[in-house]
Amino acid sequence: MSAVAALDAARALLREFPVVDGHNDLPWALRKQSGYDLDALDIAGDQHEHLHTDLPRLREGGVGAQYWSVYVPAEEPEPVAATLEQIDCVRQLLARYPAQLAPALTAADMEAARRDGRIASLMGAEGGHSIANSLGTLRGLYALGVRYMTLTHNSNVDWADSATDEPNVGGLSAFGREVVREMNRVGMLVDLSHVAATTMRDALDAVSAPVIFSHSSARAVCDHPRNIPDDVLERLPANGGVAMVTFVPKFVLQAAVDWTAAADENMRAHGLHHLDTSPEAMKIHRAFEERTPRPVATVSTVADHLDHMREVAGIDHLGIGGDYDGTAFTPDGLNDVSGYPNLLAELLERGWSTADLAKLTWQNAVRVLGAAEDVARDLQATRAPSLATIASLDGTRG
Amino acid sequence: MADLQDDTPATTEVGGGYDLPDDPFPEQPAGELLARAHSLLAGHPVADGYSGLPWALRHLPWYDLELGEAAVDTDVPRLREGHVGALFWSLHLPEGTGGERAVAATLEQLDQVRAVVEAHPEGLRLVRTAGQIIDARNRGRVAVLLGPAHGTALDDSLGILRVLHTLGLRVLSLTGTAWAGTSGLTRFGEEVVREMNRLGVLADVTGACEATVERTLALSKTPVLCTRSAARALRPHPANLPDELLAALGAARGLCMVPLTAEQTGPTVPDVADHLDHVRDVAGPECVGLSGTYDSGAVHPRELADASRYPHLIAELLRRGWTEAELALLTWGNVQRVLRSADFTARAAQQRREASTVRITDLDAP
Repeated sequence: MSAVAALDAARALLREFPVVDGHNDLPWALRKQSGYDLDALDIAGDQHEHLHTDLPRLREGGVGAQYWSVYVPAEEPEPVAATLEQIDCVRQLLARYPAQLAPALTAADMEAARRDGRIASLMGAEGGHSIANSLGTLRGLYALGVRYMTLTHNSNVDWADSATDEPNVGGLSAFGREVVREMNRVGMLVDLSHVAATTMRDALDAVSAPVIFSHSSARAVCDHPRNIPDDVLERLPANGGVAMVTFVPKFVLQAAVDWTAAADENMRAHGLHHLDTSPEAMKIHRAFEERTPRPVATVSTVADHLDHMREVAGIDHLGIGGDYDGTAFTPDGLNDVSGYPNLLAELLERGWSTADLAKLTWQNAVRVLGAAEDVARDLQATRAPSLATIASLDGTRG
Repeated sequence: MADLQDDTPATTEVGGGYDLPDDPFPEQPAGELLARAHSLLAGHPVADGYSGLPWALRHLPWYDLELGEAAVDTDVPRLREGHVGALFWSLHLPEGTGGERAVAATLEQLDQVRAVVEAHPEGLRLVRTAGQIIDARNRGRVAVLLGPAHGTALDDSLGILRVLHTLGLRVLSLTGTAWAGTSGLTRFGEEVVREMNRLGVLADVTGACEATVERTLALSKTPVLCTRSAARALRPHPANLPDELLAALGAARGLCMVPLTAEQTGPTVPDVADHLDHVRDVAGPECVGLSGTYDSGAVHPRELADASRYPHLIAELLRRGWTEAELALLTWGNVQRVLRSADFTARAAQQRREASTVRITDLDAP
């Protein structure tokens, strides 16, 4: 198949089975760039100078459902309050663009949006810090429409270890397992992106519903802690879950991982923290970047991950989570939310069938939310809302 | 459009016939008055402006409100006996809860309320609007409305106000925050009131300073509530309203809901009735309501110890010559009116105003 024919075929496929994207940080970008002023950054028009995401490019990219991340940093002094403001932002977007965005809480809502030609809009919380160790707050987020929660972000929470922090409880604590059980009971998907491999394994032992990885790739292809080890991918068929491949170059391309490590080392050599963004630090960082150009990931890099993940987890357990507007750099060909057809064209050229691609883009992600709803219905018949507290299960911690 | 129709007739023809015109205050046997109170309440049940039940239940390891629960003042059998048709469940938090903790604790309270109502489907129904109150009543359920919550629950954020409204909040108390403190509403506080109008969240100014009450009455495009205020002319309590404010509240068609507490209204049924008489006379019969304040830790007047005792109070008001039309407004009609007005105002405001993204630091100097 020629490249042009492949791209045409990809677009045709996306018209029928559009992309469900697992993670997009537009709400945080709107908070940072305009203080939620939706007039100042009107996504009905072209915003490519400011954002990876706007409605015309979502259309061009064939996106049919989006989990909008209601992320707030763990360092935020008031994470619950800030998370509610993020939820309000998504609700304002839905109120503002009703012809384009359809509020979605269930798999059936996603299918209805696909039939209407609107983009099903769901919400995901990124990090257990958003519930402040409170199951009542967790249920509050569910009531507001949040349909997945990533158990941690870049740092540990009191009850779960992050992939990018020092081990603390060694996976999930007793309260952490209760959080996961309660998420299953209410019908909120357990998202294992960002968590330590120990937490992934503990969570897979504790859940009774399928899990997701909203934006993670394969560790065997690129050795970064944000990616999923093979032994965990192998457990997805039994669990029924979905791993949604992410595009972030410093997670998917080994050369970029190494480059980022060298850049961080350079910052530390100058006596600075590697995440320092002060003008002085940025100057040192730019000088490093001039000496050693940043490696560039491509569509093919991401396809390599999908080939491997398919080998290990199977075609029924793959999805896509671009992390747009949550990352500064993106691969060539996947520069913004209009790029998904390029990825599908690459996969078609590698011999993936259209039936395979329909699972990757749409069917698997919709199935997993529906399964979470079924499990929740069953559990609610036998189990009351959990009243556990972190003090009662984990002792004095928290 | 059905829920725009007022279900409360302005006049009522039942119950006349045994008072002669030349004998305005006949001695009627107490039993007969009580029977009249019951029949009147059957048609116009009580919409109770304040119940502290959610916080009281928090400390009980187990309870069954449908069977009856002696550890609290409110349960379904007593609500039925007292002819309570709707009640506002307070989301107030213990004094001093602020910032992030107030937000999370309010979410927890809302979660608990939902669990309590779901656990008692035969007795209770969570509602938002006046029309849904009628639906609940037609189905034999006591309607539960959410609020008042404390202003601190917003953590100074209009986004959080909108989120709490999404979860069902109908009343917010304008006290104890940086934007509604002892010197009245700040500019951000005024924006909070405008956004509340846009959403249909009623303002509760009980306990607010005089400047806040006056400014809120002037600013709000829909009537304002005092969820727990009696007459200061009769009893000097900081939450009771002086006559000027009662008159101003009446002029703005707001609602003064008189609490049944010994501290604010006095220790006997006639004391409470004196306050109701006074508020009716100063603010008007369209501007007086009832607020049981059960399960809030308050001490109640004799004969009014729990939610089943409303008929005794109504019997006393009948003895004092309140007309049945006035009583129907007192127990039920006035709450219906303010809720309908708030919803109407919100629908109109949403045509004109976008959701406000203003932050407190934009308007108020730190």
